[in-house]
Amino acid sequence: MAILLSRRSNLLAVVVLLLCQLFLYATVSSSGSVLKQGGGEEFSEELLLKPFPDRKVLAHFHFQSRAPHSSSHGRHHHLFPKAIAQLVKKFRVKEMELSFTQGRWRYEQWGGFDPLSSNNAKPPGVELWAVFDVPQSLVDVYWRNLTHTLSGLFCASINFLESSTTYSAPELTFKPSFGNLRYGTLPREAVCTENLTPWLKLLPCRDKAGLSALMDRPSIYRGFYHSQRLRLTSSESGSDEVDSGIGLDQTLTVVLQPSSWRTGKTYSVETNIQPSWSISSIFGRNIPGKCVIAKSSNVYLQLDNGLVGELKNLERENAKYVANTFESEGFQSNHAFKISVTPDKVFEEVDNLHGKSTSVIYGFSVEKYSDSQPFDLGLTWKIPVVWSCQQAPLHASRFLMGSGNERGAIAISLEPTESSEGLPTSHIIDGRCELRVDIFQVVPWYIKVYFHTLQVFVDKQPRAMADVVDKIRVSPSKDKVSPGVMEMILKLPCGSKSAAFSLEFDKGFLHIDEYPPDANQGFDIPSALISFPSFNARMNFSEDEFLNNSPILSKFQETSPVLSYTEVLLIPLTTPDFSMPYNVITITCTVFALYFGSLLNVLRRRVDEEERILRSRAGHKAGWISQLLSRLSAKLRGRPQEQPTSSLPHSFISFRLVLKILLVASIAVTWQYYFG
Amino acid sequence: MLADDMACNARNKYPAQVFNNENHKLNLYGDNVEVDYHGYEVTVENFLRVLTGRHEAAVPRSKRLLSDEGSHILLYMTGHGGDEFLKFQDSEELQSHDLADAVKQMKEKHRFKELLIMVDTCQAATLFSQLHSPGVLAIGSSMKGENSYSHHLDSDVGVSVVDRFTFYTLAFFEKLNMYDNASLSSLFTSYNPTLLMSTTYYRTDLYQRKLEEVSVTNFFGSVMETIHTDSAYRTTHSRKTSETKMPLQESVKHDERRQLINSNVQDQTSDTKIEDKQCPFTRRWNAFQDKLEKIERIDSLVNYGFIIMFPLLLIIMFPLLLISTWLLPTFVS
Repeated sequence: MAILLSRRSNLLAVVVLLLCQLFLYATVSSSGSVLKQGGGEEFSEELLLKPFPDRKVLAHFHFQSRAPHSSSHGRHHHLFPKAIAQLVKKFRVKEMELSFTQGRWRYEQWGGFDPLSSNNAKPPGVELWAVFDVPQSLVDVYWRNLTHTLSGLFCASINFLESSTTYSAPELTFKPSFGNLRYGTLPREAVCTENLTPWLKLLPCRDKAGLSALMDRPSIYRGFYHSQRLRLTSSESGSDEVDSGIGLDQTLTVVLQPSSWRTGKTYSVETNIQPSWSISSIFGRNIPGKCVIAKSSNVYLQLDNGLVGELKNLERENAKYVANTFESEGFQSNHAFKISVTPDKVFEEVDNLHGKSTSVIYGFSVEKYSDSQPFDLGLTWKIPVVWSCQQAPLHASRFLMGSGNERGAIAISLEPTESSEGLPTSHIIDGRCELRVDIFQVVPWYIKVYFHTLQVFVDKQPRAMADVVDKIRVSPSKDKVSPGVMEMILKLPCGSKSAAFSLEFDKGFLHIDEYPPDANQGFDIPSALISFPSFNARMNFSEDEFLNNSPILSKFQETSPVLSYTEVLLIPLTTPDFSMPYNVITITCTVFALYFGSLLNVLRRRVDEEERILRSRAGHKAGWISQLLSRLSAKLRGRPQEQPTSSLPHSFISFRLVLKILLVASIAVTWQYYFG
Repeated sequence: MLADDMACNARNKYPAQVFNNENHKLNLYGDNVEVDYHGYEVTVENFLRVLTGRHEAAVPRSKRLLSDEGSHILLYMTGHGGDEFLKFQDSEELQSHDLADAVKQMKEKHRFKELLIMVDTCQAATLFSQLHSPGVLAIGSSMKGENSYSHHLDSDVGVSVVDRFTFYTLAFFEKLNMYDNASLSSLFTSYNPTLLMSTTYYRTDLYQRKLEEVSVTNFFGSVMETIHTDSAYRTTHSRKTSETKMPLQESVKHDERRQLINSNVQDQTSDTKIEDKQCPFTRRWNAFQDKLEKIERIDSLVNYGFIIMFPLLLIIMFPLLLISTWLLPTFVS
């Protein structure tokens, strides 16, 4: 019986052991296979090139990284940057956009209506806005910690946005966020290589392979405008959206001027022709193949609708070139320009309501290129072409009025542009044709704006506010606590050509340690944001499966309002005399020294003491020289001579003293004589 | 800590490039530079906070000096200075006694083992005259009453690009190759007062070790370009110029008129002497680990290992089973 039991237990033990082994092996192999799959993360990279009418070229890099939600896939990432995933998790960020910009986007020449300008023209300096998924009372705390973390991550002084005088909470002009949105901007932040380095380190291929290998730092920072942007969206796993999880879009927009010496051609005769350029001439490098981990890697060349329309007009004028039309043969040889690489795909915009011509995008895939056969796209112009980019309905600009150190006024003017003539009738509301304009402006607390002085001018005639302003939300500034925020929704009548606003302010005083070291340069008022919600900056393309996978093209198809930023204003404030603290300290110390010195003297010193000391010294006068002298003086004055008591040390001392004086005098004389 | 934005300044003819020589051969600003404190953040308060480690809770790790009691710290300061002070941003000064107090705090909190302070300003030696913490070595480019001068003017860029003291320091390092074991005393004595137009002064009274025994890599070290070689470490004196290029790249940013404070972070001490005293077990374990590292496809090895383990186990367990079930009871009962 005991033997049977022991045998059975042994067998059971062996069976259990074998089962454990099987189970372990199964789990190991399955986890191995999951790791090979990659956990559903994706990365794609794209580059868009676009010539501008003023002889410049736009290069727009777009890197998109998607990671599924962490609860289903753990905290391991193999493509997605862990720093960003941790940031999203720690600060409960729902949406965030951070941009570093240097330069001003020239709306007149570079356009303001297309999705590229709307989304990528940012105010100079740093702009950060974030929506949090926390209760409203905690949003400020999370915002502060987020600014500190971002400043450490991107080597920028974003931590200056932690103080409540720099950020604001807009509600009307951004999408509804129930009070969880915070917006802050630093207009004077310098952007340089140290901001690009950590931005590139978030990419899986860094700047070593793929499209990011093009980023030659001197070429980028030589541009007329460069802006690097980071956009984060995070959605809960509970929602049924297709792309839940974290999405990271990194874009770098650079406007460069192809220099004629690089292409090696001279334009002495035909200076009207746009400069020919290629990727290697503007960046100094070629694309050495794609980043191996990227799902897709494409380069696009966009000819915007103004250019396409102009080319078609030129074709119609030169009837003999009918055989070589732009549409039929288009790509490589054309009467107007030549592209060095045959495009793999051509996309044409459809349904363009805003003009007769549609823009064309040529797509090139970088998959078949490699280090030995790099990709270099070049555009050569054959005839001079002049065109203009489509602009926003109204051109916004902002300036200061008034002079002096006490008061002034801020004025925003909306001027008509050429595209405002053919305004569509799609925004007829309540039978009246109206143009809706949203204005969002933040003014620091030391520029004390008086909102009751807001004046509106339409077509240069003053109007009552109630006629034009539909909604206005104002948060007046509190000294040293919060800035002044103004959000306005205007409804301008369709036939109006221009509009202008003016707002008066008083200049405030700052504490001496609130002044920056270069206080005499002035203080900045950040850019105002003007948006036209009734217009959509989007491009429609014919339905294509490819488009959904391309980050740039799918972004073009998104509905977003037309945005434009005004200039940053520089206001000189009165500066104190910064040497005053030093002066005050010196004067006070002198006064104290004099007062206490004389007080101590008065209290401590006895008046007769000096005379007594002198007399006692005189009593000890000895030495034959001093005796002689005293006798002489006694005789001269006719007084009785005192009897000096002679003591040897004193005479010795005085003798030595006289000798010393003689010695020093002789040395001085010889020194002066020989070296003087 | 860089107070001014020099590389991407609108006035810089060579954007994103900072040179230290007229020949523009080397771009100091590089492709991977990271600056932790720049612009208005460069203040005496932030500098002292970095040294002493007294930051607010929200300050991220990349902005902290994460040093401990084994760290060697190089502190290089340049700009305008005078008798017992250094200018910050044209509006503040760092006093010598403040620096001495900060270093004393650092020593008490065990934030460094050895600290080298290099100062390249006018009357630089006065800045560290108040130091009294052990383990600190300091060298200044000029003594009290002397000015420090710039080396040469780059007429293309329009400013003087390097100071004399820094220029000769870099010249010393450029002459070294990977296998030289130069000591700090050779560095400190390499400065020629006639060429520098000022007298360098260094104090070693707070430093216990002899300067002849301390190599320069105790404080200076940076990897500019790693070149992967399969061959073993050679002892021949082959000159590999790419590896000794600019060991001071992170700590050297030049301009006579601009402010530059750079507290460069440390090299951990590498005690190679421990290896000699290892017992045979650890030596064998290390050899085993080295062998393991050389195996390339480790996961396939593990998988195969699991597969092999089954029959092995069966083979091992079978005799045990036999013994336990049949043989033992016969012995017992």
